Amino acid sequence: MARKQRKLKRALWLSLRYLVLIPVAAFTLLPFIWMVSVSLQPDKGIEAYSFIPKELTFRNYLTAWNYPRLYDSKVTLGTMFRNSVIVSFFITIFSLLFDSMAGYALARKRFPGRDFLFWLALATLMIPFYVTVVPMFIITRNLGLINTLAGLIVPFVSSGFGVFLFRQAFFSIPLELEEAARVDGASDFFIYWRLMLPLVKPTVATMAIFKILWSWNMFFWPLLIIYDYAKMPLNLGLTIFRGQYVTRWGLLAAGMTIGALPVLIAFLAFQKWFIRGLTAGAVKG
Amino acid sequence: MRKGKMRKIIREALIGYSFCFPAYLIFAVFIFAPIVWSFILSFFDYNILTFSAPRFVGLHNYAKLVKDSVFLVSLRNSAFFSIFCIPITLSLAFIFALLLNDNFPGRNFFRMAIFVPSVVSMVIVSIIWMLILSAHPSGVMNRFIRVFGIPPQGWLSDRRLVLFSLSIFLIWRSFGYKMLLYLAAMQNIPAELYEVAELDGVKSWQKALYITLPMVKPTTFFLTVTSVIEFFQIFTPVYIMTRGGPGYSSYTVVNYLYQTGFQEFTMGFASAISYILFVILIILTVIQRKVFRAEQITL
Repeated sequence: MARKQRKLKRALWLSLRYLVLIPVAAFTLLPFIWMVSVSLQPDKGIEAYSFIPKELTFRNYLTAWNYPRLYDSKVTLGTMFRNSVIVSFFITIFSLLFDSMAGYALARKRFPGRDFLFWLALATLMIPFYVTVVPMFIITRNLGLINTLAGLIVPFVSSGFGVFLFRQAFFSIPLELEEAARVDGASDFFIYWRLMLPLVKPTVATMAIFKILWSWNMFFWPLLIIYDYAKMPLNLGLTIFRGQYVTRWGLLAAGMTIGALPVLIAFLAFQKWFIRGLTAGAVKG
Repeated sequence: MRKGKMRKIIREALIGYSFCFPAYLIFAVFIFAPIVWSFILSFFDYNILTFSAPRFVGLHNYAKLVKDSVFLVSLRNSAFFSIFCIPITLSLAFIFALLLNDNFPGRNFFRMAIFVPSVVSMVIVSIIWMLILSAHPSGVMNRFIRVFGIPPQGWLSDRRLVLFSLSIFLIWRSFGYKMLLYLAAMQNIPAELYEVAELDGVKSWQKALYITLPMVKPTTFFLTVTSVIEFFQIFTPVYIMTRGGPGYSSYTVVNYLYQTGFQEFTMGFASAISYILFVILIILTVIQRKVFRAEQITL
């Protein structure tokens, strides 16, 4: 009898929990479902869209991907997607390399000024991007990088946060491993690249996710330095899209879905690393 | 022997420097030089479009700013977002972390569902919400409130509503991320605390209120300060949804920085804005670090 009662109580609790959780999940998910739904409906005025599509079409995706823009006959959403991929790829690769190299040296090499350099890396974390952005723009312009993909990449190929994370990671690896390799006559670069880097794979993965996500989503800097449609990353392109196709919501929604999809797929596939990468920013103190 | 040792030390130092070089070159050019430069620029009148040489104007830019009504509105808006959104966001985050902390069927789904808005690019979610908050009678939000018999509203075009509408968006965007940090903090609470409480016959809500809430206090503090920092740096949603309008009613500090620095190209004035922002943020960051170090608790 008592057991039955307990079971009942548990079931009651569970349904209460769902009663709270389901509306909230609807609140967080419905905007995305609406976006996908709009992207699958034939073009019409925004007021005519229904939540559940009455007729389905994939035309919007093909059109958004291939349709030459009015301003520049060669630029499509596909071009912008490619730009985003290029920028994310190079930012991620180079910052993983440079941050881990610096982190390795700060953790393992003895040289004058090392503590000062580490302090500098921490200091960069205190400096907000927006505070430096005016001179950054002038410097980038003087380097001739305005309106180039390189201008989107170069300023972000290292980060104090990455240097910090890698230094901590290398710090926790026993010294003996490295010494054994050194006795065998391995070169310094070899030790860093073939021995040490594989040992901090979790940090590499965390940083990679963090950087890919960050660079895929960046907006303010491209908005400042890119004028050519042909060089815009997807995020920036979408805001222009909005202006151009004032009434073509289906195309815009298809474009947004294309932009959000890689992130969502990666998120579902690498949940654990995503959460690590995103919460890592919070534990840096 | 001594000479060989000396050489070894020099060699190690050289290797150390060369490993650090690429990262620190970037820091020097794109962080440290700009932070000094923008301080200097803030005392100059400098328009990048006119190609005229920077003209020293002393504190003029700052003097102009403290009387600038748009700038003051921007600061007030950031304060509004902080005061309005932080209590709601953190309460939601805490409550849902509680609900999702113990095991039950579907827990992982709900965790992910609540977290998804924090993952997708700010541009995309801003555009979605701009459409949802459309003033059109058939806009999603207006259709929704019609169920309760409320007439259609100009969510983003009504001066009295615009900050409120943006706040709904900001809460939607960020409470999932904050929930995750609470979840991480809850996992670090020793289980014995709850076991002892259970022996004493303490109810669930009492456990939440008297054990969990005090135990995650450092996280609450951390999230409060970082949220204020975040709300002082809002740009994208305002840029996309309202462009600071109607009028100047939804301007933020960074929107004003963008407007003055990169639309009007008055770079000295924009630098002054960025330095005031810097002072505000650095004070907050220092407070956060001081307290955090004292508490010695990691998430």
